[in-house]
Amino acid sequence: MSRFIQYSLLFILLGVSSCREVLQPQPVDLLVDALVLNEPNDVQPVRIGMYSALRGMAAPIIIAGDFTADYIQFNGTFNDYRELGTKQITAANGAVDALWGGLYRTIYVANFMLENLPKVAGVPEATRKQVTAEARFLRGFANFIGAYTYGDIPQVTTTAQSANRTISRTSRATILASVLADYQAALTDLPDVSSGSTNITTNATFLNKVSCQAAMARFYLYQKNWAKAEELATSVINSGVYKLETNYVDIVTRDFTGESILEVGYNLSDDPGTSTFGLNNILVGRREVIPSNQLVLLLTSAEAGTRQQTITFDSKNLRGSDNGWTVRKYGTASEDNNNIVLIRLAEMYLIRAEARAQLGRQTGATGAVADLNVLRTRAKAPAITTTVQADVLLAVERERVYELAFEGHRWYDLVRTGRVQAVMSAFSSNWNSRYELWPIPQREIQQNPALSGQQNPGY
Amino acid sequence: MRNHYSTVILGVLFMLLSVQLIAQGIRISGRVTSAGDGQPLPGVNVLVKGTTNGVSTDANGNYRLTVPDGSASLLLTYIGIVTQEIAIGNRTVINVQMVEAINELSQVVVTGYNTTQRKDITGSIASVSPEKFKNIPVTSFDQALQGQAAGVQVTQSSGTPGGGINVRVRGSTSISASNRPLFVVDGVPVEDGQLTNREFGGQQDNALALFNPSDIESIDVLKDASAKAIYGSRAANGVVLITTKKGRSNQKTTFSADVQRGMIDMVRRPNLLNATELLDLQREAVTNAGQDPDKLGLIKGVTDGINTDWVKATTRRAIYQQYQLSAQGGNEKTQFYLSGNYRDEEGVQLNNEFGRYTGQFKFDHKATSQLSFGTNITLSRAKNKRVKGDNFLDGVYSGAVKSLPYYSPYDEFGRLYGPKDANYAGFPNFNPVGQALLPRFESYTAKLLAGLYAEYEFIPNLRLRSKVSVDYNNVTEDNFEPSTTAIGGFLTSVGGQGYGDFSNSTYTTLINTNTLTYNFQVASKHHINSMLGFEVLQRQERSGNLQGRLFPSDDFTYITSAGIVDQGSSYRVNSGLISTFGEVRYNYDERYLATLTARFDGSSRFGQSKQFGLFPSGSLAWRISAEPFMKRFTFISDLKLRTSFGFTGNERIGNFQFLGTWASNTYSGSTGVGPAALTNPLLQWERTREANVGLDASFFSGRLTLTVDAYSNLTDKLLFAQPIPQTTGFGSVQGNIGKVSNRGAEVTISTVNIDRGGIRWSTDLNLSRNDNKVVELVSSEPIFRGYTGNGVSNTNVILPGQPLGTFWGLKFLGVDPATGDAIYDDKNGDGRITPDDGQVIGNAQPKLFGGFTNRISWKGIELSGFFQFSYGNRILNFTNQTLLNSGADLQSNQSRKALERWRKEGDISSVPKYVYQSTYNNFLSSRFVEDGSYVRLKNVSLGYNLPKQWITRYKLSNVRIYASGTNLWTLTRYSGPDPEVSTLDGSTTAQGIDFFTFPQVKTVVAGLSVNF
Repeated sequence: MSRFIQYSLLFILLGVSSCREVLQPQPVDLLVDALVLNEPNDVQPVRIGMYSALRGMAAPIIIAGDFTADYIQFNGTFNDYRELGTKQITAANGAVDALWGGLYRTIYVANFMLENLPKVAGVPEATRKQVTAEARFLRGFANFIGAYTYGDIPQVTTTAQSANRTISRTSRATILASVLADYQAALTDLPDVSSGSTNITTNATFLNKVSCQAAMARFYLYQKNWAKAEELATSVINSGVYKLETNYVDIVTRDFTGESILEVGYNLSDDPGTSTFGLNNILVGRREVIPSNQLVLLLTSAEAGTRQQTITFDSKNLRGSDNGWTVRKYGTASEDNNNIVLIRLAEMYLIRAEARAQLGRQTGATGAVADLNVLRTRAKAPAITTTVQADVLLAVERERVYELAFEGHRWYDLVRTGRVQAVMSAFSSNWNSRYELWPIPQREIQQNPALSGQQNPGY
Repeated sequence: MRNHYSTVILGVLFMLLSVQLIAQGIRISGRVTSAGDGQPLPGVNVLVKGTTNGVSTDANGNYRLTVPDGSASLLLTYIGIVTQEIAIGNRTVINVQMVEAINELSQVVVTGYNTTQRKDITGSIASVSPEKFKNIPVTSFDQALQGQAAGVQVTQSSGTPGGGINVRVRGSTSISASNRPLFVVDGVPVEDGQLTNREFGGQQDNALALFNPSDIESIDVLKDASAKAIYGSRAANGVVLITTKKGRSNQKTTFSADVQRGMIDMVRRPNLLNATELLDLQREAVTNAGQDPDKLGLIKGVTDGINTDWVKATTRRAIYQQYQLSAQGGNEKTQFYLSGNYRDEEGVQLNNEFGRYTGQFKFDHKATSQLSFGTNITLSRAKNKRVKGDNFLDGVYSGAVKSLPYYSPYDEFGRLYGPKDANYAGFPNFNPVGQALLPRFESYTAKLLAGLYAEYEFIPNLRLRSKVSVDYNNVTEDNFEPSTTAIGGFLTSVGGQGYGDFSNSTYTTLINTNTLTYNFQVASKHHINSMLGFEVLQRQERSGNLQGRLFPSDDFTYITSAGIVDQGSSYRVNSGLISTFGEVRYNYDERYLATLTARFDGSSRFGQSKQFGLFPSGSLAWRISAEPFMKRFTFISDLKLRTSFGFTGNERIGNFQFLGTWASNTYSGSTGVGPAALTNPLLQWERTREANVGLDASFFSGRLTLTVDAYSNLTDKLLFAQPIPQTTGFGSVQGNIGKVSNRGAEVTISTVNIDRGGIRWSTDLNLSRNDNKVVELVSSEPIFRGYTGNGVSNTNVILPGQPLGTFWGLKFLGVDPATGDAIYDDKNGDGRITPDDGQVIGNAQPKLFGGFTNRISWKGIELSGFFQFSYGNRILNFTNQTLLNSGADLQSNQSRKALERWRKEGDISSVPKYVYQSTYNNFLSSRFVEDGSYVRLKNVSLGYNLPKQWITRYKLSNVRIYASGTNLWTLTRYSGPDPEVSTLDGSTTAQGIDFFTFPQVKTVVAGLSVNF
C-alpha cells in the first residue's frame, strides 16, 4: 500500500511539472502586446505595420473615389458593388464599412507609434523623428480621406479603447485643421530626398518631404487655397525627384514608375487575390464593375490619346448589358502590376493647372493650359488651345478623367468642384444629393452610442 | 494548483482508510452471468442471507465476499431479474447464472469514466443501440443519431457524402464557441467538425465520418448536469459516448460478413424555368426598366435556341456499396474483436465520391486475478473527391441551378466550354459540368485512434485503471484546377494558367486518464460507488500548405511543375487540459439514489488568472416502485423519479483569444507587425447552470416504457467577440458577455404492442421540444451574422429575447396590385425603406422534433419504418434571392414561381414585378422565409432471416437478406428541393439557410449479412 502512495505522489509531481507545458503553450504566429514596441529593434516592424495599414485602406479609397461616381457600371454579383454601381448606396454597404475600418486602423497604429515610441529607450534621434513624422502624416492622410468621404468624423488621437468606443463626430473643419497640423509636423521631420534620386521604389514606398508636399498640394486644392496648391505642386514638380513616364501605358501596366509619389506595394505572396476588395479581382477577374459607357466614350476619344489603354475591349465579353470593356490599371501579382498608386506626379500638373486657372492664369509658360499640355503631349493627344477660364476648368475636369481614371479621384473631384449634381443626375436617375457623402457605416451607428441618430442626412 | 492536488491526495487517503472496514472470515468469490447470453452481470447484489454483509458484482460480473462459515446462503438480487438463493456449502467459488426479465433496466450504460446499469442512473442519459440504425446506410455515427434520441437534434447540412452534420444536445448554448457536443470514443475526446482547410462553399467534411458505425457497440448521450459534469469544461453542449465492439468471454469465434449495395438520387430537383419561359421573363424585366431587350441580346428564337437542363447535366444516379468482415470471440481470460470495412458512396453530383477503409481491433486480457490490460485500435483512411457548392459561383450544383439554359455544356466537337469561351455565358456563370469534371479536389484523411490500458485491483472492488490514448488525424488536400476552370483560368488574380494547392494537416490528441474506483457496501443496504480521476490532455495542430500557379499546360497538375509557387504557410498550435474529477454514487436499498460529480479543469485557452474552473453537480433519484406500498400495483415494473442540478462549461473558443496580439504583415516587400486582437486577460469559460427533472417508468413487465424529462439550462458568461466601434482600431474584443437559456421537455415511449404467435410489433417514439433564447447581451443593438443581406445588414441577427438562428430582414407585406412593387414594413416610419427597417422575420429553431419507429417481425421477416420530423422551424430560402430576383440581374435562371409574378395593374401576386437592375423588389425580406417543417420517412426496411434448417448444413449460423430505403418520402411545404438544409454547415447563429445547397439524397440499398 505504501508503494501505491509513493507512486501516486510521484505521478502527481510529474503532473505538476508538465502543467506549464500543457497549460501555457506559446502562439507561434502572434506577438503579445507587451512585446511589440519596447526596444529599438521593434521600431522598424511597427513602422512597416503603419504602412501596411495605409495599404489596407488604399483599395477602399479607390472604390470610394471612382465607384461612387460615373465611371462604372455594375456587372457582377456582389451586392456592395450593385449598390455602388446602381447608385443605391446604403449604410450597410461593405465598402463603406471597409474604408472606415481601414482609416481608423491606420489612425490606431499611428497613435500607437506616437504614444509608445517616446517610451522606447535607445532609438536614434533621426529614426525617432522620421518615424514620428511618418505616423503623423499617415494619421493626417487618413483623416483627410475620412473628412471628405464621411463629412464630420470622430477625431481619434489616442489608443484608449474606452474613450474611442464612445467618441462623437467632430466638425469637418476641425478635422481638416488637424490634418494640416499633422502634415506640417511631418514635413519638418520627414527625410529629404535629392533631385535626380534614382531610388524609385523607396521614393514611392516610404514618405519623404516631397511626397508630403504632394499630399499638401492636394489638401490645399480641396481647400480651394489656390495659391498654396500651386506653390506646393510646383515645388513637387521642380524637386526633380519624380519624373513623368514617357509612355502612359507604363502607368497602366507597371508597378513603381518614375512618377509614383506614393504607391502601396504588394508582391507575389501578399497579393490580395480574390479578396472582396482586391481591385484586380473586382475589375478584371470577376468584372464586378466595368467601365461605364460614357467613360468608355471619353477614354477612347482622340482627346484621351494613349490613355485609352486604361481600359481594354474583348468581344467575348460583349453580351447583354456588358459593353465588353475592362479596367486594366490593376493587374495581378505575376504581371507585377498589383500595386495601388495613391499620388503620382501627373496629379501635381493637374492640381497646378486647376489652381492657375482658378487664379485666372490660363496661358503662358506658367499658365494652366501649359500644364495640361504636358500631359497631352505625353499621351500623344492634341494640345488644348482654349483660353477661356470656364472652358479651361472644364478641360481640367476632363483631363483628370483621362489621366486619373480609376485612381480614386472622380467622386471627390466632382463634389469639391460642386459639379456633382449636374454630372451625376445626368448619369443615373437614382442619384440623390445624399450621395455627396458616404453614410457612416451602420455598425458604427449601432455600436457607438455617441453616433446614434447622427447618420449623414438622407441615409 | 495547490488546491487541486490536495483534493487528489485527500481522496486517495479517504479510499485507503475505508478499506479497513472490510471484515475477516472465509473468502468466497464467483462470477454472475446472464442465463440468456452468458454476459456478465455487473451490479448484482450478493448478500449473506439474514445479515447486512454483502457486495455488488463489478463490471465483469465478479464478486468477492467474506462469509462467517459455509452454513450461510447467498441471496442474489437485481432489478428486473429473478432473485436467487444459493447455499454456500463448502464451495469457495460460486458462479451463478441469472434469468433476466424483459426490460432495459439491466442494460449497461457508459457514464463517462465508469459504467452503470440503466436502473441506477440518476441523471439523464439516452442510449442508442446500433440495432436501431443497422439498416440505414449512414456514413457516420452522428448521422445515425438522427431521430433516435430525445433531446438530440441532428441535421445534415446537405446531401454531400461524408459531409457536415450538425448535432445539438438540448439546444445551442453558445454564440461564438462551438455548439457541438463532446464526442468521446473509447474514452478519447475525438476530433469533430471539419478537418480540411480549403473551403468548398458551404459544405465541409466531417471528422466523425472516419469511424465505421458498424463497429459500434453502444452510443450514450449524456444530457443533464449530473451525467455531464464529469466532463466539466467541455460538457455544456452534451457528451456523446461511443463504445466500440468487443469480444465476449466464453464465446466461440464467430465471423460475420456483410454486403450492402444501393443507388442514390436527389430527394427532389429544383423547379426551374426553361429557356423560352426565362427569355420571356427577362424581356419583360428589361422592358419594365424602359430598355430595349433586343439591344441586350435577348432575342426570341435566337437566345432560347438552346434549352439545357443544367441540374440534369451535372448529376447522376450514384452507386453506394459497403463490405464488412468481422470476427469476435474470447475465453475467460482473453477477448477480441476484429473488423475490416470498405465503404464507397458516390455523390449524385458528378465526380463527387466518398470512399473509406476502416479497421477495428479490440483486445482485453486478464493476466492475473488482479491485473488486466488491453488495447483498442481504430484505423481509418478516407478519400473524398469533393465538389464546390453553395455560395461558390464555380460550384457544381450551385452553378447548375443558376446557369442560364441558353447555353450548352459542350461545343459541337464535344469539348467542354471554358469560362472565357465566346459561346458561353460569361461571369458569373461557369460551366458547371466542367467545374465538376475538370478539377481535381481530393482529400485523403487518415485516422489512428489507439489506446492502451492496464487495470489493477488492489483489493476487491478497489481498482486503479490507467489508459494512454492517441487520436491522430492527418488530412492531405490535393487540389488542382486547370486553366479551363474558373479559378484555374478565368480569375487571373488567382490562377490564370492552372492553380494547384496542396496542404497537409495533422491534429493529434494525446490523453492520459487515470481512475481509481472503489465500490463497497455499508451494512446491506448502503451501496457506494466512488471514482476519482486525473487526466492530462494535450492537443497539437500542425499544418502546412502550398499554392502554385502558371503551369506549363493542363497536363501538369502538381505544384512541382508550377511556374510560380508564391503562397504557402505552416503553423503549429498546442492546447491542453489538466483535470481532476470524481464521482460518488450512493444507493440505499435500491430505493434512494444519489450521485455527486465534480470536475476541476485547467485549460490553456484562458489567461493565468482564469485558467481553472470547478464544475460540480448532484442528483437524486427515488425508485417509487421499490417502496412497499407500491407492491400492489403489479403492472408497474419500475418507476423512478430523478432530479439533478449542476454546472458545466464550454472552453471551445479557439486558442490565445485572451491575449492582445500583433501578427505579421507586409508592405512592399517588407515585413512588419500589425495589431491582431485586443487583450482580455479576464476571459473565462462559458458556464451553464442546468436543472433537470425526469421520470423513468416501465409497465407490464417492460412492455411499455416511458421516459420523461424536463430541463432548464442557463448559460452565462458567453464567450463573445463583442463588436466595438472601429474608431478603436478594432472591430471586436473577446469577452464573457450575455446569457442564453434553453428550456425543454423530452418524451421517449417504447412499447411492445403485440408479442404472440411469433409476431412481435414494437414502437418507439421520441419527442423533444427546446426553447432557446438569448436572455442578455452586451446591448440591445442587433448583432449581425450570416450572409450580407441586400437592403438590410445581414441574414441573421442575435437579439435579446430571440433564439439563436433568428432571421433578419425587411418585413414583406405583399405586392402592390397597382404598381407591382414589393411593399415593405416601414418600421421606423420615416417614409423610406432603409436598413433601419430591418426586423426579425423568423427563426430556424424547431418547436418540436423527434422520431417514430415501428418494427414488426414474424418468422424471420422483419419490417421497420422510421419517420423523423421537425416542426415549426423556418428556412431562409436565400437561393430565391437569386432564383426569384425580380430582375435585379439577368445572369441566372429563375424558379418556376416567377411565372406567378405581377404583370399588370390589378394583379394580385406574392411575386413582385420584374424590373431589370432594380434591387428594391429583391431586398432581403420575409418573402424568402418559409416554413421548414417536415415529416420524412427516413428509413423503411424489410429483412428476412433464412430459416436455420436451410443454412446449418452450410455451417452458417445466420443469413439475413434485406432491402432498405432512405428518405423515400417527405411531407413538407418548403418550396426548395429539401427542407433539411443548412448552407453554413455547423453554424448556430446562421443555421437553416438554403443557398444553392445540394439537397438530401434518397438511397435504396439491398444487403446480405452472413454469420458463421
